Amino acid sequence: MSVALDRSLAHGVGHVADPDAAPVVSLRGITKIFPGLIANDAVDFDIRAGEIHALLGENGAGKSTLMNVLTGIYQPDAGQILLDGQPTRFVSPAQAIGAGIGMIHQHFKLIQAFTVAENIHLGWGETPVLISAKDIEDRTRILAEKFNLAVRPEARIDEISAGEQQRVEILKVLARGARILILDEPTAVLTPPEARELFKALRQFRAAGNSVVFISHKLDEVLAISDRITILRAGKKVALREAAGCTPSILANLMVGRDVVLHHARPASPHQANPGDPPPMVLQDVSALNDRGLPALTGIELELRAGEILGIAGVAGNGQRELSEVLTGVRPLQGGDIVIAGYRVPSSNPAMFRDAGIGHIPEDRLRSGLAPSLSIIDNAVLREYVIPPVARGHFIDHGSAAALAKRIAKDAEVGIPSFQMPVRNLSGGNQQRLVARREMRIAKSVLVAAYPTRGLDVGAINTMIDYLVALRDSGVAVVMFSEELEELLNLADRIAVLYEGRIMGIFNAKGADMEEIGLLMGGKTKHGERVA
Amino acid sequence: MAFRLQRLPSVRPEIAVAAHAVAIGLAFVVGGIAVTISGHNAFTLAAKVLTASFGSEFGLEDFGLLFGPLMLTGLAAAVTLRIGLWNIGAEGQFYIGAVFATGVGLFFSGPPWLMLTAMFLAGGIGGALWILVPTLARAYANVNEIITTLLLNFVAVLVVNYLSTGLWRDRKQSVLGATARIPYEVPNLSGSLHAGILVAVAAVVLMALLIRYTRWGYEVRISGANIFAAHYAGIPVRSRLISVMLISGAIAGIAGMLEVAGTVHRLQGGISNNFGYLGIIVAVLAGGSPIGVVFSGFVMAVILNAGIILQAQGILLNDVLAMTGLILFFTAIGEQVAHYRIVATHVVAQEA
Ligand SMILES: Nc1ncnc2c1ncn2[C@@H]1O[C@H](COP(=O)(O)OP(=O)(O)OP(=O)(O)O)[C@@H](O)[C@H]1O
Ligand SMILES: [Mg+2]
Repeated sequence: MSVALDRSLAHGVGHVADPDAAPVVSLRGITKIFPGLIANDAVDFDIRAGEIHALLGENGAGKSTLMNVLTGIYQPDAGQILLDGQPTRFVSPAQAIGAGIGMIHQHFKLIQAFTVAENIHLGWGETPVLISAKDIEDRTRILAEKFNLAVRPEARIDEISAGEQQRVEILKVLARGARILILDEPTAVLTPPEARELFKALRQFRAAGNSVVFISHKLDEVLAISDRITILRAGKKVALREAAGCTPSILANLMVGRDVVLHHARPASPHQANPGDPPPMVLQDVSALNDRGLPALTGIELELRAGEILGIAGVAGNGQRELSEVLTGVRPLQGGDIVIAGYRVPSSNPAMFRDAGIGHIPEDRLRSGLAPSLSIIDNAVLREYVIPPVARGHFIDHGSAAALAKRIAKDAEVGIPSFQMPVRNLSGGNQQRLVARREMRIAKSVLVAAYPTRGLDVGAINTMIDYLVALRDSGVAVVMFSEELEELLNLADRIAVLYEGRIMGIFNAKGADMEEIGLLMGGKTKHGERVA
Repeated sequence: MAFRLQRLPSVRPEIAVAAHAVAIGLAFVVGGIAVTISGHNAFTLAAKVLTASFGSEFGLEDFGLLFGPLMLTGLAAAVTLRIGLWNIGAEGQFYIGAVFATGVGLFFSGPPWLMLTAMFLAGGIGGALWILVPTLARAYANVNEIITTLLLNFVAVLVVNYLSTGLWRDRKQSVLGATARIPYEVPNLSGSLHAGILVAVAAVVLMALLIRYTRWGYEVRISGANIFAAHYAGIPVRSRLISVMLISGAIAGIAGMLEVAGTVHRLQGGISNNFGYLGIIVAVLAGGSPIGVVFSGFVMAVILNAGIILQAQGILLNDVLAMTGLILFFTAIGEQVAHYRIVATHVVAQEA
């Protein structure tokens, strides 16, 4: 898992939370029922001043729901919220933030077309009625300094990285006076250095006597940052532990309710590509632009091989999104060629790539992989509605569509009370599981998986990795994007390093020099010089 | 214990329907109060409207003549909503559909069934042509279709006025501002009610089936829900957008053809009766659902019909048209209100 975590940061220095002090927030017997499902079942949870309290559980265990109840997005069906000992109920997130409780969601809620400063000041009582763009930018700058969060007030949200967007979300909440910060899987979209920065900020926040609720599936991280850990399983609270006495495997066992193996080594591919067969896909001198029309990829030469996992290493924002989209026909080429199984193909024709057996787990499932407002069935058949049995000539066979959705949900191990409900009602990890299974079904020759384990719980990560290995062993060329070098080294047969839209080098994973790859990811070679 | 409003992220369908019903009810209450203030008895007027509309065969026929075109223009606006676009130009497409049908009917001759078929097709083609430029501008240059379709309405009015008072004016009989009577008529069902209403119902059912049961309809729904996901899935979003817009234009054009060949029998200014604009309201009330158009079209027809009847009682048509505005207004509010519910802010005792 996350190797990048500094061991020296593993435990806060000089930090004390008084265990006997009354909790600032206390949830008692919270129950939240959705049609056909109990998302929270009489859950107790409390937050002390000056602690980081982690909330753990499998996908769909009810973590996000519990925090949504606390912040007034949902109303509990039973139970009580005590704030400083007083029974309280928030009817909107605005009211919760008014009481000092702010939440950063699994999927950010910033307005893309607005600037950082505009987003911070939007819907905030303290924003003066008449104010110039420059004034709010200045105010934002002062706030950013005060809370020690690096943001550019004038930048538009759609041009900043996920890490910076998250800092904006946090600043927005802190500016409104939050003393309890809830972070729902904050590190899923962060690079390791960004995660370290976040942890530093959280420790500072805690040192001032504030509290943090931290939701994550990365157990090392949880152990490094948190003081106490509450574990949910299928909506019920199953344990509350001091972080100090825990290990990743203790936590994993508590979450799942049985023994889990966290790591197992995976033997290299036994698959022997038939030497006469052309490679499933070759990129020749490919270049492409990003959404803003700037060069994102330059001179990419890449050959995918059947029965091999090719890892793409690199820090997010160096052309990963564009490369994954080029590989799946979503993004047009600016130059160069794509050759699929020996045939040169026109770029930017996702349907043709799909028909050629190329699956795509996109990095941002809600934006590009799903239609959140449509039903689970509609989303499940997104790739297969053109072929029988779902397609019957020009018609859709609803019976087969429902059967396919059930099949995918079963394979993905996602329990679904109603397949007619909008897919956005599923937990973040369960959405990811469905998309992944859907894409694996069509990946007959290539699977492009961008951060496929993002948002998955420990068990699901193992299952996902087993599936990727099984696909590889059946002769599929798997391309896997990841920021976790260790994950790639453990899994991939070859590793390509992407930096500023170029491939800096391709290595055999066996015997690869981790240090060299790490340097290349930062644009440097082993001899210390920067590569152009 | 205090009470506060809470906003819900989504609305259950039964609540949404109830909100629409309440909104319409409220609009009638406000309308009723206005009528009462102006010195009429709202209840006697309402009774009059109901008996006049539904109490006699004549009333029902007049009602049907409004209901049919409203369903069609409502459907035209509703189908574009499915792919996330607004066709504000059903009015213009209605006019041009009528122009094309009139042209065929006046200048060609043949057996009635053939001529009516040709006029029907011509009406559809005319409507589709009228939305073609906004469609292509939207599909290839991302030009906002709301503005372009709206502006073309004014052009269409001018075209109809030019033809009906100029080029195609009836020169034999001295009818001012209209063409000669078109010799081909949509067959009547009963009295003055022609078969157009059946065409409208068939069109609604057909569109509902297309959207629900065909691959094309699925692609349209995905494109309307998330264009990025549609592109990712290999759906030809641009061509779906074009087909939906052209179908929408054709439906409005057919409404124009039926009006001219079934009800008015001549091309003349104002022939659209505002059906195109009212269709937008019908579509919004229906939440973009084709089947919903039947219900909201019905409500709208009742109002329009009431307007005609009430005019005889000394109430201005404009007052009645204001009712449609009120309904839209309350519906918009209702849609927002449906997102809220009242909750208690303090829970004193521990709940079980
Ligand atoms: N609005 C809703 N309507 C119906 N069901 C819902 C809704 N929101 C959540 N659920 C269901 O409640 C359960 C708990 O969801 P929740 O999002 O709390 O899980 P989670 O623990 O955050 O999981 P993950 O780790 O995948 O994010 C899931 O089964 C989910 O499908
Ligand atoms: Mg969650």
